[in-house]
Amino acid sequence: MIPASVALLALGVLLAEPVSRALAAARWPNRDPTGALLLWQAVGLAGGLALLGAGLTFGLAPLGDSLPAAVAALADHAGRREWPPGLGPWQLLALAATLVLAARLLGVLGLATARTLRARRRHRDLLDVLTTPWPAMAGARVLAHPMPVAYCLPGLRSRLVVSEGALAALSAGELAAVLAHERAHLRERHDLVVLPFVAWGATAPWVPGMARAQLAVAALVEMRADDVARASAGELALAGALRRVAGAIGASERATLTSFSAAVGGRLHRLDQCPDRPSRTVRAATRLAALALVAVPTLALLLN
Amino acid sequence: MASLGELERAVMDVLWAAPEPCTARDVQDALSTRELATTTVLTVLGRLERKGLVSRARDGRAHRYHASGTREDHIAALMRDALEGAPDRGAVLVRFLGAMPPEDQAALRDLLR
Repeated sequence: MIPASVALLALGVLLAEPVSRALAAARWPNRDPTGALLLWQAVGLAGGLALLGAGLTFGLAPLGDSLPAAVAALADHAGRREWPPGLGPWQLLALAATLVLAARLLGVLGLATARTLRARRRHRDLLDVLTTPWPAMAGARVLAHPMPVAYCLPGLRSRLVVSEGALAALSAGELAAVLAHERAHLRERHDLVVLPFVAWGATAPWVPGMARAQLAVAALVEMRADDVARASAGELALAGALRRVAGAIGASERATLTSFSAAVGGRLHRLDQCPDRPSRTVRAATRLAALALVAVPTLALLLN
Repeated sequence: MASLGELERAVMDVLWAAPEPCTARDVQDALSTRELATTTVLTVLGRLERKGLVSRARDGRAHRYHASGTREDHIAALMRDALEGAPDRGAVLVRFLGAMPPEDQAALRDLLR
């Protein structure tokens, strides 16, 4: 099992650094955000499985030829209340490190989820009292403020919020584009896609791969929503909405070029370029690659 | 039967319009057209208090309720909540224009004051 352990460790490190760097710097995700998002999920999942699996297979190597056999042997020894032979300090160290990593990953995710849900509920409670339902669209609410904003609160009890300023500043078509964009976020549960990367990015900010992954996933989610909005409302309407809302906020600040306006610029540029979707074959290959990426460490752990 | 949200808004309207703190009875009378039970009014006032929109003070044997801030104050707070927040705050909400970097947030805060 030792060779498997080394291979899994190598896979984990590869995914954490070079692969995530390459994926974050790649251009093709612009044209297939959904495929890229699936690939990112796969990289995260496979990386975690690989690192945890490496520690597990190394620690339990003396007990059997494959992981299932070793686990069975461990249970057997435990049942007979005897110390498993061959389990020395290095093995224990590996097992302890694995346990600590697993606990940290799950713990951080759990905490982030709880914090997010709590913050959302607090915002939603105030929203329900301080906004009025918007008759033009079911489930949408109007916030009485002159600054043009639009946002949504994801979750089972989702809310879509438009400000009076937005209603005044945007044309009907532009408003439709904004709503289509927000509804895409809600319908496709982009919050679930983003949350693990945000949670784990916060755990190990010194691992550059994690920060890159977080930024890439956030940007891809916006691209996906833009694609949905462009399909239903048209790119002129969407670009117009982006410019107007960004312009209104930008005009009211004294700062000139900020990363905020740079991000908007990036999205406008992408709309303008109108990149073609990759062929169906390429898209299928991307999704297959994501599946294979997760299958590799899983099978390695089960079959060895 | 009005929804809970609608009742909460109606009660807040009464409190915001009132020149001085009201008892639950005062609120009930102000909303007399809705024919609300006293328990309903108390429930709504309790919810609004938990949400931080209403404060309660004892006045002899009765409780008097007042709004803890103007409507504009609370709306500005909502806006700040919606527009601020570093990207690593998580997917609490998703803005049309993405997250705002810290330098812009300070400017925005001044603007919303």
